[in-house]
Amino acid sequence: MAAAASCSTSTRSTGSVVVAASRNSVTSFQRRGPRASGTDSGCSRLVSIAGTRPSVRNGQLLVSTGLPALDQLLGGGLAVGTVLLIEEDKYNIYSPLLFKYFLAEGIVTGHTLLVASAKEDPADILQELPAPLLDDNCKKECDEDICNHKTESNIKMKIAWRYQLLPKMEARPVSSSRFGHYYDVSKRIPQELIEASKWHGFFLPEKISSTLNLEPCSLNHGYIKLLQFIQNIIYEEGFDGSNPQKKQKNILRIGIQNLGSPLWGDDICWTENCDSNHSLTKFLYMLRGLLRSSLSACIITVPTHLIQNKAIIARVTNLSDTVVGLESFIGSEKETNPLYKDYHGLIHIRQIPQLNNLIYDVSDVKDLAFKLKRKLFTIEHPPTPTVLLPSQTSTSRGHSPVW
Amino acid sequence: MLESLLALGGLVLLRDSVEWEGRSLLKALIKKSALCGEQVHILGCEVSEEEFREGFDSNINSRLVYHDLFRDPLNWSETGETLPGGPLEALRALCRRTDPGPVTIALDSLSWLLLHLPCTTLCQTLHTLSHQDSCHGDSSPGEQVHVLGLLHEELHGPGPLGVLSSLAQTEVTLSGAMGQASAHILYRRPQQRLTHQMDPTTHLTFNLRLSKKEREAKDSLTLPFQFSSEKQQALLCPGLGQATSHIFYEPDAYDDLDQEDPDDDLDV
Repeated sequence: MAAAASCSTSTRSTGSVVVAASRNSVTSFQRRGPRASGTDSGCSRLVSIAGTRPSVRNGQLLVSTGLPALDQLLGGGLAVGTVLLIEEDKYNIYSPLLFKYFLAEGIVTGHTLLVASAKEDPADILQELPAPLLDDNCKKECDEDICNHKTESNIKMKIAWRYQLLPKMEARPVSSSRFGHYYDVSKRIPQELIEASKWHGFFLPEKISSTLNLEPCSLNHGYIKLLQFIQNIIYEEGFDGSNPQKKQKNILRIGIQNLGSPLWGDDICWTENCDSNHSLTKFLYMLRGLLRSSLSACIITVPTHLIQNKAIIARVTNLSDTVVGLESFIGSEKETNPLYKDYHGLIHIRQIPQLNNLIYDVSDVKDLAFKLKRKLFTIEHPPTPTVLLPSQTSTSRGHSPVW
Repeated sequence: MLESLLALGGLVLLRDSVEWEGRSLLKALIKKSALCGEQVHILGCEVSEEEFREGFDSNINSRLVYHDLFRDPLNWSETGETLPGGPLEALRALCRRTDPGPVTIALDSLSWLLLHLPCTTLCQTLHTLSHQDSCHGDSSPGEQVHVLGLLHEELHGPGPLGVLSSLAQTEVTLSGAMGQASAHILYRRPQQRLTHQMDPTTHLTFNLRLSKKEREAKDSLTLPFQFSSEKQQALLCPGLGQATSHIFYEPDAYDDLDQEDPDDDLDV
């Protein structure tokens, strides 16, 4: 059973290499995009956006979440126009990491970012993004651009004088045409990449003056302001097709942190029955409407472990498209479980959307664990209980099934 | 233990119960901060000022700035001594405080504030209060703001407790067994880079510095492969006579160079 499951995931990964999005491919194999999602001309125009590729299943345009392992589990990536909801782990250690991967991927592929938070200033969040790992292909593209510049060395080198006339390597903004990059969590993203990228920040304490006496209304004021902000950006920058003279289409990546916490002015983490029970659900409904009509993708982290009313959690899950839950082992009894000793937590893919198709998508991977190594965040299958023989406790992970 | 509690800035949540009271720990932390030279503001809501100041000696007492909300919280006597606007205004005044230097703000108690203020407003104000240092730019660790909040666990449900835990940088839960009090401390360390780097070249047992004579001797040393500038230029810019190197390669029978399928399309 375990072998079959791993086989199916590997075929999915080889099958999803779509070369159409890469500009430098020289190969006789060209995968034709399936025509399920609309007209051919629409498909070919959308494919030319950097950092996106059409899904092999239903032709939907996908963007990478920043973690190639997570992309694979979600069926190739996150569909444009949908919401990825991350249910935060208890101490909020790993969910900001997924949030930052998403934003870093946006910077590397040249997408526009919109970062909203009530806790941290968006500029600080951007400073803490992980640095991308550029492999040789990307470095070659970098060098081609750099060799065009003739640089003079004004520093006379004493020992390394043979290198004086070589052009200086600059960390120029890498507009990479690959889908899905790897990041080094131990390093910060270079400042030049942040400055070259386009981003908008929404920091709630700045936008709302706390001394105002606001009458209660059906939707929380913080949420109203955020929706207006997002709508303005989408309209002004033409992500919804409203500025037809803009030739180069781009994706807007929206990241909203800690939605539903009291810092946004929402009561749902406080009591079970509160007046603003429906604020968050209304916000999600309106946000999804905005996203569906524009070229954008959104990641939201919600502290569902704090929400007191389980019905709200169920509604929030239903109103989002893709839902990923993180459960960390810190402080729980699973920490001492020998199965999980190499891992830091479990990752649950709770929901995958059905977009433009009738096939009910059942994720066949039920148990996945993640671990945060010093540089990388990896998602793996933990060994199944039948594989570990009782005599092998700490050293080896059993390699053959008992049955 | 007290230093480690005050090491991270931000909100320190002290959770106590009827059996294991936390006000003495709060007072110990206040005393430690006052002895370190920090300004200490106290928002007293549950006990009277005299009772709170009991146990501190006079030099510490003179450093404490006490905001009294116990005697007349709703300002009924209208003497003008109490703060107008109640506890919320008092907290906001502390947020707007602009004098520099490290400061400790003790809230005695958060439970009282939770019962009298709307919860989201309190959370937002606490967050602003504990993150004041970020407004003043890049501050060294000495300029942190510590907010000490005393919370009585039994008065609140799991919702408020969970929310305040998630806001706090350090959480101390007092419990005990058989007459012996114990504290369970939880740290949330933000994964951030250090804003304050220590210079590693101080306090070394060997000398890393060069005197002027040593520096001159170092500069005048001729290194191998350090040619005269004419020779350097000659080597850097190859003239017409010199040929650049070429590699001639002829693939033999065992080489597989299929022009139609190079390895570029392998997405490995």
